[in-house]
Formats: sequence, structure tokens, C-alpha cells
Amino acid sequence: MTTPTAAPRRVPKLGRERLAAVGFALPALVVLMALFVAPLAVLFAASMRGPDGPTLDHYGRLLGSATYLGVIWNSVKLALETTTIALIVGYPAAFAIGRARGALRSLLLASLFLPLAASVIVKAFAWTILLRSDGLVNLAMMALGLTQAPVRLIFTETALIAGSVNIFLPYMILPIYTVVAQFDRRLVEAAATLGASPVEAFLRVVVPLTLPGVIAGVALVFSLSVSAYVVPTLLIGERYQTLTTLIAKAYLLAQQPEFGAAAGVVLLLIAVVVVTLSARFGRPVRGRS
Amino acid sequence: MIDGTAAHLVVSGITKRFAALTVLDRVDLAIARGELVTLLGPSGCGKTTLLRLVAGLTLPDNGHITIAGRDLTKVPPHRRNVGVVFQSYALFPHLTVAGNVAFGLNVRRRPKSEVAAAVHRALQLVHLEHLAERPIAALSGGQQQRIALARALAVEPDVLLFDEALSALDRNLREEMQIELRRILREIGATAIFVTHDQDEALTMSDRIAVMNHGRIEQCARPREIYTRPASLFTLQFVGLSSRIAGTVAASDNGRIQVETPVGRFEAAGTLAPGDRAIVATRPEYLRVGSDGGGNTATGTIRTIVYQGSRCLVDVEAASGQSLLASLSGDQAADLSTGAPIRLSWPVTETFAFPAPEARP
Ligand SMILES: Nc1ncnc2c1ncn2[C@@H]1O[C@H](COP(=O)(O)OP(=O)(O)OP(=O)(O)O)[C@@H](O)[C@H]1O
Ligand SMILES: [Mg+2]
Repeated sequence: MTTPTAAPRRVPKLGRERLAAVGFALPALVVLMALFVAPLAVLFAASMRGPDGPTLDHYGRLLGSATYLGVIWNSVKLALETTTIALIVGYPAAFAIGRARGALRSLLLASLFLPLAASVIVKAFAWTILLRSDGLVNLAMMALGLTQAPVRLIFTETALIAGSVNIFLPYMILPIYTVVAQFDRRLVEAAATLGASPVEAFLRVVVPLTLPGVIAGVALVFSLSVSAYVVPTLLIGERYQTLTTLIAKAYLLAQQPEFGAAAGVVLLLIAVVVVTLSARFGRPVRGRS
Repeated sequence: MIDGTAAHLVVSGITKRFAALTVLDRVDLAIARGELVTLLGPSGCGKTTLLRLVAGLTLPDNGHITIAGRDLTKVPPHRRNVGVVFQSYALFPHLTVAGNVAFGLNVRRRPKSEVAAAVHRALQLVHLEHLAERPIAALSGGQQQRIALARALAVEPDVLLFDEALSALDRNLREEMQIELRRILREIGATAIFVTHDQDEALTMSDRIAVMNHGRIEQCARPREIYTRPASLFTLQFVGLSSRIAGTVAASDNGRIQVETPVGRFEAAGTLAPGDRAIVATRPEYLRVGSDGGGNTATGTIRTIVYQGSRCLVDVEAASGQSLLASLSGDQAADLSTGAPIRLSWPVTETFAFPAPEARP
């Protein structure tokens, strides 16, 4: 709920302040126009190209077939599962880093940043090595007597989700960590003296105040994992078609760039919808009674 | 002093250490139901730490805390019903003013209408009902402090702890809030500990004042007693003005001692032995011009005269540069002028003697 009393502050101030704001945004605007909007326009145009003028046939083909709807669902499911697990793992991890002091904190932060320096391809290959039938995971399970023969791990959905979570987890932890690092623990103490149990203090104070970080993390991980190409290709392959692998096939194998472009636009729309929704929820929560 | 059985809040033998630093050293304090005790002491003496222990936000290394006969030493803060107004306010930035004040009531699952009424009442007490829907960030420091006050009062806890709860207010508002707060506390019958740096605030608000120094309570007594019967040199110096003269005990007899000083020989109540180093002292109000103000007299030259409305504070330089402070009524001070010689006297009964602190080599 926004308060009516805060409204007068938002009266746009014309003049120098406004001009300065536009000035600061200008370079970014130019770069975005050239590198982002222009290619998008090309993509959009391509997705509607038909033998005789603009057409929505490609979208019809994509959205009208159960197979392709299944592919879209596969992409969304992968992103949803990755995001959910990354949130469950990443939220407490972000707190652990935020609470750690000195050398331990540096160590934890380094372990978060270092993987970002390795290419996604390298990390995905690492997972294939770990998970193959003579890989480390199978060897360990057999050594522990958990299984007699190697279990099929690679090219399963489990492998896909495990790899995807592992690769995108830092993008969940980092935004939550930045919020947690600024969190004033005395607020939890104040809540306790007002009668809130630790669980209640967590739900009423910690969650709302760390929500902006959570929303940013969710938006990041969702849009990264919904558009991931290397991860599903290497970790599950043909068995699990996603929008990204479909797009690649349309361009590279089937020579149907129009269909690929339409799939690209759909993928983009999914990401845009999720990010927009998160931005709405993630606006600094303030002034709720 | 009240005995332990009648007391509502009892702190007994509390010791708290942070690593090698002993912040509280066997603190004892018993407070009756509805009583307001002020903790007065220099920065870092452990006032906030003592409040945190009573609230359950920190656990003691030794000792017990009981409220209404129940041992709460290990009970978590949310089950103590002890309200706190924090030195840092600790307001919830994601809630409005009303949301902050309602917090404790919402946690207690009170019906909506009751919450709304209680919030309104609490905001009225601090004169901020017109700000109910404001976000916290849009408040001044003094307003935030009053919201913190309203938030703690709204749940009507058994025990209320105030950590410099009025420090951010201007003088007029502070004096008004002091009176209001006393009235509210009496109304809800809460036992209260009030931390302040402001002596006047301590003297006007408290039923009793506990003077703290280095993690110990030096004296806990009614404000008048703290002022007129300081139990230690620290209390004498920390609360109010005083004249202090160092000397050596010359004679001791039946609870009366004679102390020889560069300014003269003074008589005081005390049990120090002859030969002990001692400090004799008195409060400025007890000094009179002339020789008939009571058994002790001294002479000197007037250094400064400060007019304080109906009274004058006169600083007299006695022999060997010692300073004597006298608070004189208007007619007594009428003929005085700086640089003039003056004779002052004060009663033996209002002369204190303390052992002189060990000289540090
Ligand atoms: N969590 C802590 N860890 C280590 N030392 C602490 C901690 N909390 C307090 N201290 C130390 O304990 C001593 C007493 O602190 P406390 O906050 O109780 O002082 P205070 O009397 O409230 O002072 P002030 O009037 O400045 O608020 C200080 O020396 C402080 O540095
Ligand atoms: Mg303090």
C-alpha cells in the first residue's frame, strides 16, 4: 500500500535534475538501442515473415501443437525447478555468508565468485564427467555399497536439474547476500521483545526485508535457466527438448529461421513476464500496516 | 530500599563478560511493582548491557533475573513480556508508523478493532496520531524515538526498559514526555528501568536512581538521598556539583573525623582512621556567606559569579587554588563582586568524607 502522504514527493521536477538524469542514462540508452532493441526488431520481423506478407503462421504452428507446447513446458519446468531449488539452497547460504566474519566470509564469497569465472560449458562438462557410469558419483555410491552396478545418472532429469542449480546458484545467492549483509539484526531483537517468536520474527521482519534480494535472485535465475542452451544439451540431450534446443534446431538443422524466431520471441516473452512480475513484487516494501 | 520478597523485578548477582572484559560485575537490583528506577552512569559502564540481560537479549555468565517471582534467567525474550525502547529505536522500516505500533498486538493475535484502538491510543500519548500512515523513513529522529516509545507502550508489558528513550527530543518536548511517561507508567502499573545520561531527567523522573560505574551499582537510592547522601566519591562527582578538598585525617572519634587540608581543618561524619588520606566534600547549596553557616569555615577570593535566576553560583578560590562552589540566594549574593575576599561556612552534618582514591604511580 502506498501512502497518500508520500504522493507530493513524486511530483516530477522539471529542469536541471531531470536533464541530469536523462544525461546520465543516455550512454546506456544508446548502447541498449544498438545492441538490444535493433536485433530484437530483426528477430520480431523474422518471426512474422511469410511467403506472401506478414503472417502469424509460425506462432500458430508453435502454440497449436501438443508437442511444441510440451517443449515450452519443458523449458518453464526446468526454470521453475531450478529457481525453486536454488532459492531453498541459496537463501540460507546467503545468510551464512552475511553472518560470517573475517577470513571465513572472504572464503565463502570467493567460493561464490570463482565459479562465475569458469565458462558454463566447462561446468556442464564437469557434470557429465562426474555423473557418467564410471564417474565419481557412481564410484562413490558403489564403494559405499549403496548400489551394485552403476546407476544411470547422466542424461536424466535429475542430472539436468542438479547441474542447472549448481551453475545458476550464485545468481540467487548474490542479490540475497547483498540485502542480508545490510540487515539490522537489532530489528529481530525488537520483534522478540514485542512478543514475536523466532519463527514469527523471521516471517514478519526478516522475510519482508530480504524480499527485494529474493525477487532479484528469482528473476535472474529464472531468466538464465529458462534460456539455458548448453546445460540441457550437455546434461540431458535429445530426451528433453527445450525452447532453446528447438530454436537451435530450427536454425541449424531444419533451416526454418522464421519458426526459430517465433520460438525465440515466445522464450523472450516468458522471461519478460517473469521479470516484470518480480519487479512489481520486489519494489522496496515500505509503508505497510 | 525494598526487600527481595516484595520486589517485582529482581536482578541478583549478575555478571557478564565479553571475552576478557567484565562488563557487569555482580550487579544486584530489586525494583518494586510500578517503580521507576533510573540507571545513571558514564558511557560504557554497562547500562545497555544490563537492560539487554533483563530483556533476555543477552544471557548472563552468572546470576539470576526474576520477575514476579518467576526465574526468567533462561527464558527467551519473546516469553518475558518485557518491553524495550532501544537506544537505536530499531523501528521496522518496511512498516508504517501504525504498523510498527501494532506489531506487538498483531503478534499477540488481538482482534483488529482492539489493535486499531490501542494503536490510536499509543500514538495519541506521543502526540503523533496524525503520522499513523507515514513510512518510518519519512520521520525525524525525535518522531522515530516517540514511535519506538509508542510501540513498546502499546502492548502494556509488565516491565518496560528505556534506553535513553528521550535523548533525541528537544528540551520542551522532553520535559513534557517525562511527565507523560510517568503518568502512563503509573496508569499501566509497569515496572520500569530508565537509562539516561541526563541528571536532571534522572532526578525528576525516578523513584530511585542507581548510579553505575565500571559494571557495578555504586548506590541505589531516592534522588534526594543520592544528592544529599552520596555513598561514594564517584556518586558525589557524577551527580550534581560539589566542592572537594583533599587532606589527611587528623582525628577520629565516634563517627566524627577531623580532616586537615591546605584550606583548613574540617569536621565530617566518617570512620576513617587518623593518618588516612581523605577527601572532604559538600554540595553548593549548603554553603553560606559568613561564619555562622555551621561548623566548617573557609576563606578565599571570588573567582566567578554565575547568575542562575533566583540563585547565584559562586566559584571561590580558596588557599592553594582549591575551588569551592557555593549556590547562594539572591540577597546573599547581592553585595558580592569578583576578586573580593569572602568567608564561607557550612554545616558539619552536610560535610562528607571519602577515602582518597589511591594515587596511581
Ligand atoms: N557484544 C559486545 N561484545 C563486546 N563488548 C561489548 C558488547 N556489548 C557491549 N560491550 C562492551 O561493554 C561495555 C558496556 O557497554 P554498554 O553498551 O552496556 O554501555 P552503556 O553504559 O550502555 O554506554 P552508553 O551510555 O554509551 O550507551 C562497553 O565497554 C562495550 O564496549
Ligand atoms: Mg547504552
